[in-house]
Amino acid sequence: MSLIRKIGVLLAWLSLIVGTAVVTAAVKQRSEDGPNRVFSGGPLISGELYQGSEPDWSFVDDIDTIELQLLNPAQSRRIWTASMDGKLYVWSGYMNSAVGKLWKSWPAQAEKDGRAVIRVAGVRYERQLTRIKKGEGLDPLTTLMQEKYGSRATPEAIDAGDLWMFVAGPRPVTETIK
Amino acid sequence: MKNLFLKIVAVIGVTSLSVWFIPGVDDGVELIFQLIVLVASS
Repeated sequence: MSLIRKIGVLLAWLSLIVGTAVVTAAVKQRSEDGPNRVFSGGPLISGELYQGSEPDWSFVDDIDTIELQLLNPAQSRRIWTASMDGKLYVWSGYMNSAVGKLWKSWPAQAEKDGRAVIRVAGVRYERQLTRIKKGEGLDPLTTLMQEKYGSRATPEAIDAGDLWMFVAGPRPVTETIK
Repeated sequence: MKNLFLKIVAVIGVTSLSVWFIPGVDDGVELIFQLIVLVASS
């Protein structure tokens, strides 16, 4: 067997092992309480459920990521966040790219059913995600996103649908979870 | 050919069980996957 063929066979086995390991780790995470850094997780179960008046969300500007779970489907992921005027915002970029369309399913799911739970510092908050399709008036937010994450977010990207922006407001009382 | 198929099934089975049941292996896989994505995107 030539050396090149041997290396090819070795790489094929290595790819099989790495591919299997990645798929298994991703599937396993789906049954866990929340996501890890890379893979989506299951429903957010642990943590006190926040009860009280609407918080001032500006504290999330000092936090890198939050855990976000939709109720339908009940899967969670770790995402970037920022606040403006005390409101909580989450977003998804590259939505017009092939990778975005293939990889990112939660924005479309959230647009269909915005009921969500977020977990910040071990506390769960019930939220209602509402998509904002116009970037007008969001300059301070996109500027903060650029400073915080080095993001290329602009109000124009929101207008163009390349960046899907959601405000995570309080959920109507009748739709709260037990 | 049948022998090769059995080898592939065995590798997939052992890898999956190891990642699922041995503590910490899934964290290692997550780290490796993160590195692969980082290298691929840079």
